[in-house]
Amino acid sequence: MTELLNATAITKRYGGITALSRADFSARAGEVHALLGENGAGKSTFIQILAGAVRPDGGTVTLAGSPYRPRNPQEAQQSGISPVFQELSLVPDLTVEENIWFRREPLSAIRTVRARAMREATLELFARHKFPPIRPDQELRRLTLAERQVIEIAKALSRDPQVLILDEATSALGPQETEWLLGLAKGLAEAGRLVIYISHRLGEVRQIADRITVFRNGATVAAYDTHAVDDETIITDMLGRRMDRLYPERKSTASQTVALGLRGFGVDHRLADIDLDLREGEVLGVAGMQGHGQRELFQALFGIGGSRGTVEVWGKPKTIRGPRQALTGRDGLALVPEDRRNHGLLLSKSVRENLTLSVIQRFTRFGITDPKRESALVDEMIATLKIKTGTPEQLAGTLSGGNQQKVIFGKMLLTEARILLLYDPTRGIDVGTKGEIFQLMRDLAAKGYAILFYSSDLAELVHVADRVAVLRNGRLAAILEGEDNSERQILRAALIETRAA
Amino acid sequence: MSIVDPTSRAGIAIANSGAAGTAPRRSRAAIWKSALLDRASLIIPCVMLIALLLVYASLRDGVFTLDELNLDTAAAMTLLLAATGQTIVLLRGGIDLSIGGMISLGTVLAATRFGTDPGQAAAWAFGIVAIGGLVGALNGILITVLRLQPFLVTLATWSILSGAAMIILPTDGGALPSGWTMFGVSSWLGLSSSVWILALLLVFWFWFKRTRLGIAIRATGSNERSAFLSGVSPIGINIATYGLSGIFAALAALYLTTQTGAGSPTIGKDYILPSVAAAVIGGISLFGGRGGLVGTMIGAFILTIIGNLVFVLEVSSYWQPIVSGIILLIAVLASSIAEKSARRSLS
Repeated sequence: MTELLNATAITKRYGGITALSRADFSARAGEVHALLGENGAGKSTFIQILAGAVRPDGGTVTLAGSPYRPRNPQEAQQSGISPVFQELSLVPDLTVEENIWFRREPLSAIRTVRARAMREATLELFARHKFPPIRPDQELRRLTLAERQVIEIAKALSRDPQVLILDEATSALGPQETEWLLGLAKGLAEAGRLVIYISHRLGEVRQIADRITVFRNGATVAAYDTHAVDDETIITDMLGRRMDRLYPERKSTASQTVALGLRGFGVDHRLADIDLDLREGEVLGVAGMQGHGQRELFQALFGIGGSRGTVEVWGKPKTIRGPRQALTGRDGLALVPEDRRNHGLLLSKSVRENLTLSVIQRFTRFGITDPKRESALVDEMIATLKIKTGTPEQLAGTLSGGNQQKVIFGKMLLTEARILLLYDPTRGIDVGTKGEIFQLMRDLAAKGYAILFYSSDLAELVHVADRVAVLRNGRLAAILEGEDNSERQILRAALIETRAA
Repeated sequence: MSIVDPTSRAGIAIANSGAAGTAPRRSRAAIWKSALLDRASLIIPCVMLIALLLVYASLRDGVFTLDELNLDTAAAMTLLLAATGQTIVLLRGGIDLSIGGMISLGTVLAATRFGTDPGQAAAWAFGIVAIGGLVGALNGILITVLRLQPFLVTLATWSILSGAAMIILPTDGGALPSGWTMFGVSSWLGLSSSVWILALLLVFWFWFKRTRLGIAIRATGSNERSAFLSGVSPIGINIATYGLSGIFAALAALYLTTQTGAGSPTIGKDYILPSVAAAVIGGISLFGGRGGLVGTMIGAFILTIIGNLVFVLEVSSYWQPIVSGIILLIAVLASSIAEKSARRSLS
């Protein structure tokens, strides 16, 4: 069997974090090869290495028998490997055709772009691959997200690649474009190309992939022919077994009072028909594969971007129009955001200033702050959360990741809001602090706080949350509790298109 | 429709259901509306210029004559040349304050070094343009290598260049060859030299904006990350952008000396903010990526006509910046409203 692409023992570390260890991958021309794994399993790092965007620390890659070591994305493309990333590489102010041929425009004798030739090439490309109708002369910023994704694919195909990498390419597409793309991938494979297909949708993978490779914790754990394996095996291989030590004992402290009630909640086409009750004293987990509506849910609840449907907070209907409204007082909502370095903290300000930024009114009289009251609040919070800081005046940017996250928690707790929205609060945090944060979450729940908790790590949801709401394609796929609250059931609900909400 | 709809040409059958990727057929009126809204940032300054010209014509005879065109273009040309460079930088998503220093330096070098020998004058003219390009390239290198804000880097180089100009010629003065200043008032086929320069600038622009570099500058201003991912060199694009800006500042300085017949170590600062204003009135986005030189030209003429109006109305000349500021606000506001409704009509 001749393999077109062969990767052996690829390793990649970012600082102390190992993204890839012993990753092997081997695929032949003429097949659609699916690459599966949980969030953080190392798939993205691996394809970035193939695409020339990241260089591996160790291991070898061969392409058609010869060593393959691209130094940048351009070299990778010249070798015939074209990636379609989720994070788009398109320019909003250029037209569709200018984007597709950017840096490779056909030139005339006076070095200007031959517009006619470019248009013809675009139409020919669209026709050859049966693209959905999109005007080539339209500026990209006028296109929908789905259309942009289609153009990203067009850009990759315009190089006529030997290897096409599709990374979650269908996550932004509607059902029709998805069908089109699946057909396109199959067609390319039949024409002798290799398509590497990364998706969290097992259904799609079954439909088109000839073979499957599974990554877990940065290593290859399995590779098989699609028709010779069942879904259960794939899911087991994706999960593996894991140690569970850092989780606190979970005692349900939920009351019958509904803290946050959602009915028909939605955000444009990305989130729809969400009915959910978060109760006082409860930790309600939110699960879902990347890009299935979790981010939209949290942002909309915090008042970023529009939403529809009704929201009841402590029994009262509420319209949340912006973070200021979401924050107000004991009846409010507080958010631990996804990107703490950019959105949660002012790194060049002190711990004290960060803690009290959103609650200045709590120690302000007649427009003048009362430093004594402020420092009392700050000291209390530093003690409660065990924030390791020299003095309250230390700059937030100089703290460790875990302590930065504690400052954000402190900031949130000082708002006195009793509904907490935690978006992946343990990402990039050391194990010890993780444990402290979980304990804190359970303690807060016991005090009557209501906590909505998203994590990209399923084990955290299973061990910390009382119930877990699973999102798939922006809809509520299942609410799991008790026995059903397991990684297996969460993955099943997040991946497989059964079990209506 | 056959040009804009790839599938009708290629005869591909994909059902048009109005799903995420396919736009429903739009009415003729809606197409016109969106076409107008797309071009609003150019249409608005056009309307403003016409309105100003009509007001001007109601106050004075002979506004719509060749003489007036020649005069106004000569009055606008220094600003226009400076604003051409500024336009390129703004499209890149940057800003160039150093053009003020470069213009001052250019005029004092010309007024002190040209002498009377035509050969020497020509050599120095080229030398000044080369200095402009080099100073600009240096701006580009500093911005890329030190990762500093263009505003700060070019503020610093502006200061340095201004100081250098002061050392060469502390007060306004110097002299230029008579042949040189004759060029400023010469004309050919009834059109003044400035109108011919305007035509040359247009030719340059319609060529430049369709070169790979022109597209890359616009793309980098629109989304730096995407452009770099697609193979644009960060340092190359900055050297080219700021280098061109420096060259145009030097050309502005040379043109200015044909009009004034002297050098001035302080005159350049009068062109820094107006060059940005002309571009912004003409629909160039300060965030980069959007606009073109035609808009900037209209913006420069708007600012010039405002000066004429203040003159014929015989009011204090201090009214000129006040009216310019108001026009700037109106232009920016109108463009932003148009952009918002363009977005709304899409969704």
